[in-house]
Amino acid sequence: MGLAELARRVGMLLRRRRFDRDLAEEMRLHLDLRAADARAAGVPPDEADAAARRRFGNATVLREESRDAWGWRWLEDLGKDARYGLRGMARNPGFTLVAVLAFALGIGANTAIVSVVAGVLLRPLPYADPDRLVTILHGGTGPTAAANIYAWRAQCASFEALGAAEAWAPNLAGLGIDQPEKLPALRVTPDVLPLLGVPPALGRTFVDEEGLPGKEHVIVLGWDLWQQRFGGDPHILDRSVVLDGVSYAVIGVMPRGFKFAPFWVTTAQAWAPLVLGPKAGDFHWSTLRPFARLKPGVSVAAARAEMAAVTARLEQAFPGTNRNLEIVPLEEKVVGQIRPALLVLLGAVGFVLLVACANVAHMLLARAQARQREIVVRTALGAGRGRLVRQLLTESLMLALLGGGAGVVLGVWGVDLLRALEPVDVPRVANVSVDATILATMAGVSILCGVGFGLVPALRATAVDLSSSLKESARGATEGARQGRLRGLLVVSQFALALPLLVGAGLMIRSFAALQAIDPGFDSEGVLTLQVSLAGTSQVKAGRPETFYPELVRRVEALPGVASASAINHLPLAGDMWGIGFTVEGEPTPADGDSEVATYRAVLPGYFRTMGIPILRGRDISPADDARAPHVVVINQKLADEHWPRGDAVGKRISGGMDQETFTIVGVVKDARQHDWAEKLRGEIYVSVAQARRYLDNPGGPFAYMTLVVRTVGDPAALAGSVRAAVRDLDPAVSVSSVSTMTSVVARATSRPRFYLTLLGAFAGLALLLAAVGVYGVMSYAVSRRRQEIGIRMALGATRGDVLRLVVKGGLGLALVGVAVGLVGAAGLARLMAGLLYGVTPADPPTLVGVAFVLLAVAVLASVVPARRATRIDPMTALRTD
Amino acid sequence: MLRQRDEIPPGTLALLILRTLSRAGELHGYQIASSIERGSDDVLRVEEGSLYPALQRLLVQGWVTARWGTTEGNRRARYYKLTAAGKKQLAAEMSQFERVMGAIVRVLQTA
Repeated sequence: MGLAELARRVGMLLRRRRFDRDLAEEMRLHLDLRAADARAAGVPPDEADAAARRRFGNATVLREESRDAWGWRWLEDLGKDARYGLRGMARNPGFTLVAVLAFALGIGANTAIVSVVAGVLLRPLPYADPDRLVTILHGGTGPTAAANIYAWRAQCASFEALGAAEAWAPNLAGLGIDQPEKLPALRVTPDVLPLLGVPPALGRTFVDEEGLPGKEHVIVLGWDLWQQRFGGDPHILDRSVVLDGVSYAVIGVMPRGFKFAPFWVTTAQAWAPLVLGPKAGDFHWSTLRPFARLKPGVSVAAARAEMAAVTARLEQAFPGTNRNLEIVPLEEKVVGQIRPALLVLLGAVGFVLLVACANVAHMLLARAQARQREIVVRTALGAGRGRLVRQLLTESLMLALLGGGAGVVLGVWGVDLLRALEPVDVPRVANVSVDATILATMAGVSILCGVGFGLVPALRATAVDLSSSLKESARGATEGARQGRLRGLLVVSQFALALPLLVGAGLMIRSFAALQAIDPGFDSEGVLTLQVSLAGTSQVKAGRPETFYPELVRRVEALPGVASASAINHLPLAGDMWGIGFTVEGEPTPADGDSEVATYRAVLPGYFRTMGIPILRGRDISPADDARAPHVVVINQKLADEHWPRGDAVGKRISGGMDQETFTIVGVVKDARQHDWAEKLRGEIYVSVAQARRYLDNPGGPFAYMTLVVRTVGDPAALAGSVRAAVRDLDPAVSVSSVSTMTSVVARATSRPRFYLTLLGAFAGLALLLAAVGVYGVMSYAVSRRRQEIGIRMALGATRGDVLRLVVKGGLGLALVGVAVGLVGAAGLARLMAGLLYGVTPADPPTLVGVAFVLLAVAVLASVVPARRATRIDPMTALRTD
Repeated sequence: MLRQRDEIPPGTLALLILRTLSRAGELHGYQIASSIERGSDDVLRVEEGSLYPALQRLLVQGWVTARWGTTEGNRRARYYKLTAAGKKQLAAEMSQFERVMGAIVRVLQTA
């Protein structure tokens, strides 16, 4: 269609009234002239008029055809249908509200979850050619040692580049901050930033020689850090930053939105070179995360095969260093864990939408039936079926679009709400937003649903066999069998759709209860925790961490409201964990690399008392266990039971650690959850900080950071200020971070199941509500259609109980079929959920039975209420009214 | 005596209108109808009313234009005139029509 033609068509649309007038006048002229000619030829006047009209044809049809020539008929019809539909909606505000609301809830839930899925799963990682980026993991999660990086670089041909990163949390001082802060940062080998393929916004990234000792004091800043701490200073490249007391020259700024690493230390805001050389031969000190880019055309499978050969060789040469290593695509590592959960949620909202659609479909069906007589009359007068279907479809589409519009608004709120729930371990959740693509998708889904749930009722309602329809609606004593079947199908499908959702929610609730019932081994109530970092301060330079922490603990314990205090290298459940390989004296020494590994914690005296971990046998680590005293350890019950099942662990000796020191066991404590809330318990070994020389001497190293634990008498959060002040009084250069109560540390550790529980629970509740409303609607409608039948039955002597039983039996029958079908669906969904569950099997009988019972109860309730109303009618009234 | 009248083949109505206008210049609807019937010696008879939808289709295509004028009997009438695009269309349709007719005639003669 050319532009000029379109302009002509639009012009006609705008001047439609004039068009009709002109056409009519033109045709009248034609008829008059034809009649005049005939009269001139001698035909009698009235015959001449009739003959002219006959020759002319059906003027009405021709006028319509003329209008159709302009191709706007569909639009005019649509306008008419829409106006008609709007009037209908305004006449039935209750119906409209419920239909729009049901649909809005369905679309809203979908908008929110689809946005999350799109933001988290579908959007590629923000690096160049992200599908060629991989990481290498030990046992699916673990880090790697420096020697491996060298060996892989030398022996693997699959990688274009392979680098490593190490977590780094330096103290950022100055810049107008009164107390130093810990800056989330990474040390990376110079090739890591270039291999991501993201050019810096300012300056440059690292060159190879900056990975050499002495050259490494340069830094690349993140955009946010540059903006927030340096006010976006355009001369930032001339400045330097003091971290841990060392000055780093700023050489570059990464672009806005750049994030690295995508998993683990995701908040890093600065990157400095990692000097790997001195550790080149170290296969044991595993702190590094490898990042690599595959050569173009090299598949992950090929790289894995090559890696397997290389690690097998290395394992032979250096036993215990190259096992369980696997190349994992970066994308997979970032979203792999969350994918099943999000897919379950996606399925759940899909079901919610289907339940909503079934609801609206039924309401439309009921309404179309109420309008049956209008439709029959219009059909009898010659309205085409296509035209009637189109009109009914226009109405359902209008409902769908209204509902969809409201739903998208709900969805945008929902996304805000989801982000506010802050699921800490849902990656990239900050990326989630409702964008144009999602809006378009939802508009499409709305239209699809509008047509979908409108079409069947529309086709059904207009499939009128005139004679029987007139009869049926004239004496609607019993409803048409076909309509009844369709309604039954809708009820069955609502139950069948709602059941898997409820089962999902039920399983999550059971898992959550099981998780809540876990005994963490410590008493999290009334404990304040905070990380204290000496990195870069004179404390470390003077070699004083050894005395700093006990002194700090002593001062904190003197504060009012403090019951006791202590410190530990890594707080349980806060994310960090070290392992220690050890052997038991008197037991055969295992082959190299096969020694048993336990969780390693270094504590000050009083840790167990402060955390509420019961000492089962022996004693706590005491101040007397200092560097000069014989080295001692406290172990957990699990380790004690494994090696000394007779309960005589105290006094036995083990050796382990990097220096193969020998430790005497002085106490056994209760098992505590260390890394993961729902983990399998493992052995734990607690050493005395004062005896962990190797770590204490490490400049800026591990014991520069410790977590202070404080048991308080009242609200632990209220003491944060005075504990901070105590740190400042002792040394203002020391930084305090991660101030948190132990209860919120625990809450974070269980945040993922809580997140799923909240969402699945909400969706299941929604589906149950919709199904209940739907079933109630269907039942009360069915009862109202059967009023006369009920009237007759009661007139013939049926009691109210008989009628009630009759109606309830009908509803219950449908519900039972729906529940049976739904159980099959639930079995599928539950299998998908297996990975999300804890302490409950997917086919958990109490859940299945409970859910089925809830749904059947809903069915009974939804039948009883309208049935009771029906039995209260006077039979005579029921029989008379139609 | 009744003379036999033949229905015009579908699609030719537009061609007939264009041809009539190209000969006569500017005509109103009744004149076009009369002209076609006269021209075909009354063998072809238009269902007269169908002229009007056909004229609208030609207007949409931009092959004719219309303006309001006055008849001899002093009545308002819409006069139609061929446009340049309409002339081109007529030429194209004529040559196609002749090709098809020629082919049909050849088939009929050789049969």
